[in-house]
Amino acid sequence: MPILEASGIRKQFGGVVALAGADFSLDAGAVHALIGSNGCGKSTLCKIIAGSVAADAGTIRLDGNPVSFSDPQEAAAAGIGVFYQELSLVRPMTVAENIYLGREPRMRTGLLDRDALRSQAENALEQFRSVIGTGVHPDARVADLSADQSQLIEILKVLAANPRIIILDEATAALDRNQVDAVFHRIRALKADGCAIIFITHRMDEVFEIADRVTVMRNGLTVLSQPIGQTSHDEIVAAMVGDVMPPARRERKHVPAQETALEVEQLSAAKLAGVSFKARRGEILGLGGLHGQGQSALLRALFGALPLKAGSIQVDGKRLAPKGPRTVMRRSIAYVSGDRARHGVMAIRPIFENLVISLLSRERRVVVQTERLERETRPFIERLKLKFSSLQATVAELSGGNQQKVVLARWLATHPSVLLLDDPTKGIDIQTKEDLYSTMDELCSQGVCILLHSSDDEELLGISDRVLVFNGGRIVAELTGEQRNRQALYEAAYATAPAAA
Amino acid sequence: MTQARMLALLKRPLSIAILAILVLLAGGELLSPGFASPRQIVTLLTIAALLGVVAAGQNLVILGGREGIDLSVGGIISFAAFLAGNVMQQQDAYLLQAVGTVLLATFCIGLVTGLGVTWLRIPPLVMTLGMLGVVQGGLVLLTRGVPSGRAAPMLSRIVSEPLLLGLPGILFIWILIGVVLTLVLRRTTFGLNVYAIGTNEAAAALAGVPVRLTRTLLFALSGLFAGLTGILLLGYTEYVFIGAGDQYMLPSIIAVVIGGTSLAGGSGGYIGTMAGAIVLILLQSILTTLNIPPFGRQIVFGVTLLGLMLLYGRQRRLRG
Repeated sequence: MPILEASGIRKQFGGVVALAGADFSLDAGAVHALIGSNGCGKSTLCKIIAGSVAADAGTIRLDGNPVSFSDPQEAAAAGIGVFYQELSLVRPMTVAENIYLGREPRMRTGLLDRDALRSQAENALEQFRSVIGTGVHPDARVADLSADQSQLIEILKVLAANPRIIILDEATAALDRNQVDAVFHRIRALKADGCAIIFITHRMDEVFEIADRVTVMRNGLTVLSQPIGQTSHDEIVAAMVGDVMPPARRERKHVPAQETALEVEQLSAAKLAGVSFKARRGEILGLGGLHGQGQSALLRALFGALPLKAGSIQVDGKRLAPKGPRTVMRRSIAYVSGDRARHGVMAIRPIFENLVISLLSRERRVVVQTERLERETRPFIERLKLKFSSLQATVAELSGGNQQKVVLARWLATHPSVLLLDDPTKGIDIQTKEDLYSTMDELCSQGVCILLHSSDDEELLGISDRVLVFNGGRIVAELTGEQRNRQALYEAAYATAPAAA
Repeated sequence: MTQARMLALLKRPLSIAILAILVLLAGGELLSPGFASPRQIVTLLTIAALLGVVAAGQNLVILGGREGIDLSVGGIISFAAFLAGNVMQQQDAYLLQAVGTVLLATFCIGLVTGLGVTWLRIPPLVMTLGMLGVVQGGLVLLTRGVPSGRAAPMLSRIVSEPLLLGLPGILFIWILIGVVLTLVLRRTTFGLNVYAIGTNEAAAALAGVPVRLTRTLLFALSGLFAGLTGILLLGYTEYVFIGAGDQYMLPSIIAVVIGGTSLAGGSGGYIGTMAGAIVLILLQSILTTLNIPPFGRQIVFGVTLLGLMLLYGRQRRLRG
């Protein structure tokens, strides 16, 4: 009997179906790899199992008994431990305090037993001692640790609760080969003790190394579930890709020119490890891969919103030092984030102010000439088919898609020659997407160079002239012509990541 | 005008403030006949102008968001009055020099506060409280606790004596500030930048707004307005004791809140704050009429602020 069984799980977020009746079964003493492309539903499924998201329909059985967790604490009490990709560590606290957060050893008086806490943490750290590097001891502050060290501490924190079911969501993402070996060693020991492990990774070789069984998800459904010995690399990729149908290529007017608009060499920053490429005028250059492999980091680094560690950037043959958005925008570069609420709109302010703010900064004018500014932004409002009652209405009154149009129009009004789009269609309706695509096509016809990061693989493959595939902060493949298909994208995205430093 | 629009208009903080002004005037007249006489109203407006000018700076800092607040205004007012009195020494000839010196000095104090908030990332509450301590302490050091300096006759005339239409000059200064500040906030890039950083700092920075420069300027301007208040206060009372400015700190914040500016930043304006200042002065005056002692007034002010926060807290707004 499986220790955990999920069947017919459905979940919808707004109009988006995340899970469309997914099935999943986990055996005790086994490692079960769960993989799939962006937005396939694997994260949502894990969140439902862990009690942080409620399913719309379907049942979860634990040891054969139906359960329904109303919050993560209940799931934790039932023996489910989760490694969160975004880490749940409290940065100002120490390593020991983090590992035993909420489970601190106490003295009879009820006070914290610091000595016991320290020695327990010392023991826990021992298993990773040879690979965790210097500076990690029970009293070290988590804020002072590197990404890989924090990740190992997060693993220890999950294990400190002695869970029976462990969900590891990209738990090896920041680790180097030796650290991965140490984690696998620990996982094998847990397996031998009868724990069940759900292992999510984007490294295919890890799946074949550690997993006993693999389940592939696509479009919110479980499309393949096999013991690892009875499947192959090709079968797994084929399951992720689905019907081998070439992505619908959009009709386009623009033809990329030969001139280079943007040249990047050996760019390094947080999450970027030496990225080099050239983008041409009138080209849509897609940035693809799994979530958070450096696509967004690259765009933010180019715009001066993420500090550079090394590398050089040339725009139209002249060097660019991206000190901040203000210096970069002066070189006719614009950046639009898909995270509208945080990085796009000033929601409680009028549409007008949101539209002209960048143009005003660019022009360095003192006085706001309302009529002139309205005249200058109107063509873009019309081009993007922005729907609004009045320019004085607040942006908060607009739909998500229209809010995104406001941010785009804001930048188009500055007449950029390079447009950086950071997942711009996230969570917006199809009609708005169409409006954005045709605007992008038109901009390229006029010689604008567009860098497009999209978490929607279909969109990325469908509208990009070329696609650069990111993995672990590097470009691991360039897809051109007929190579722009899911098969090639997933092959590259799920390849072994180069060993982290 | 439809009924819905009338209702929406009535719910605006400015309308509520104006309504409150009328109610307080009527109430005051009932309690003590002559309260709402033209002469008395001019006197009340003069006092309100002093509060209104310091609240202008407070208003700007609060609009800029990120827990923007300026607790140093009281100390700066006292310091400005002391400095102005000592530079002008009762001589009209030194008036301009005194005004220039004080405004420059207080602008610089605000500038330092602003740089501490933006470059050193010290929270405004802590930074301005620290600056208050520095200014107050410095003032005691300079004066050894003995007040000194007197207003130039011309300054006193401008502030208290009728200049035009029977109204004192300070009211014209206040109205001028109101017009200029409203235009700056609504019709200049700086003004739009203030609202932008107050609403969503991250988005504003990505839109090319000079976030740190703008916020630094807001604190500098708050220092400047506090300095101007100090000069006007000197003119109003002719000579000023050392802690004279202290009484303005809490009311300057309450006036801004009554006027409908959100303490979270990004929405509101100065016209409302002007009305808020008048409401507070009327309230204070009525409490005096009722023989409520100063500490009783403090309690009423504090409760007013908390009550307003409770009221506005219910109107959760969408922000980034």
